[in-house]
Amino acid sequence: MIEKGKISAMQMALMMYPAIIATAILLVPAITAHHAGQDMWLSPIWASFSGFLAVYITLRLHHYYPQKTAIEYSEQIAGKFFGKIIGFVFLFFYLHADGIVVREYGEFIVGNFLMRTPPIFVMGTMVFICALAVRGGVEVIGRLAEMIVPVVTLVILIFVILLIPDMDATNMLPIMEKGIIPSIKGAVTPQSWFSEFFLMAFFLPYLANGENGKKWGIISVLAVFLTLFIINITVLFVLGGITANFVYPVMSAVRYISIADFLEHLEAFVMAVWVGGTFLKITVFYYVVALGTAQWLNLPDYRMLVFPLGFLLLVFSEWIAPSLMELSHLLATTVPFYLSSIQIVLPLILLLIAKFRNRNRMKDGQK
Amino acid sequence: MTKLNVILGIIVLLTLIVLFERPQWKRAQKKEKAAFVILLGMGTALAILLLYKPDLPGPTQMVDYIYRPLGRLLEE
Repeated sequence: MIEKGKISAMQMALMMYPAIIATAILLVPAITAHHAGQDMWLSPIWASFSGFLAVYITLRLHHYYPQKTAIEYSEQIAGKFFGKIIGFVFLFFYLHADGIVVREYGEFIVGNFLMRTPPIFVMGTMVFICALAVRGGVEVIGRLAEMIVPVVTLVILIFVILLIPDMDATNMLPIMEKGIIPSIKGAVTPQSWFSEFFLMAFFLPYLANGENGKKWGIISVLAVFLTLFIINITVLFVLGGITANFVYPVMSAVRYISIADFLEHLEAFVMAVWVGGTFLKITVFYYVVALGTAQWLNLPDYRMLVFPLGFLLLVFSEWIAPSLMELSHLLATTVPFYLSSIQIVLPLILLLIAKFRNRNRMKDGQK
Repeated sequence: MTKLNVILGIIVLLTLIVLFERPQWKRAQKKEKAAFVILLGMGTALAILLLYKPDLPGPTQMVDYIYRPLGRLLEE
């Protein structure tokens, strides 16, 4: 096995949480609001089904191949040739998705805070830090998650509490004015973020207490659902019908915070939280790409590949879209289907084949 | 940023990566070295290509092409 480290199931859950949340609260609330309007608080409910489905598929596949990651078992399930192709699709997909995340991070920081810094520098330094974390291995990433996630959650909670004076609950009325369809349309983009729970397939083999994987996977989905639900409801109550007009609604909502003309301009904390969260998100994806590539090529170690992949990642992030508006449009239209077809439909096909193969094997007696 | 500066930046970055990995270079297997060089070469080639053709169609265009019929459901 390439990765010799072990993490606990709780650490895995803590890694998955920012891996979904970090960018799901950047551009996504505006996209949801665009379709769902005042029903945007309903969308995370529908979207979370995708998360539960992804966790279920991942756990079933893990049950059949307990010691193997997605790259390794797709070879066993689909045969050497097709397995390698599926493995390549996964790797390319995660490199591409990570490129999108790096780009979103760069656009967010440069657009809101460091306006005169070249984006490539902002993104490059982030990728460098992530590369160091990835080289540290899964244990280092797990501990970083244990350190960062509680702070991120706490700050988000404090923001919500500080925004209570600006909230207007009548913004959510009338509920389901046009039926259930707008809220389901609004759920399409967030559900694709939930499908990223398939990333668990790369961490389950390294759990020290594997029997708790199921419990913590479900807890993680619930935590993500709850956070998105609270964020969406906060944004809706504060901004109301104009939510869809903002690029970063959460950011704009936080700008409303003003307690006794004293506690104002808390955007800097938003940035601090998001840098922490996005760092973990990029690291988790990056780790999956690095480990997966080494397994795909049957190498004894992945550490040599980390920096070349980081360089490639940086180039990808430039390649992805010409501008933020273009990127936002892509995330609102075609990218959600891309994310869920690779992370839910493809694993589902693998699971069906695995089930078929293992049924035959079970008949011949255990193994 | 002129093109020459970008190329210089790429060269500096490549040098740093190579210097960083030098201590491990001797212990690494042949396959690892090959993967290292090929990945780095891919990145460099792509970076220089994008420098001269910034609107080179990439994975995003491919995704957009494949999923456009579904994406249209969400367009208004």
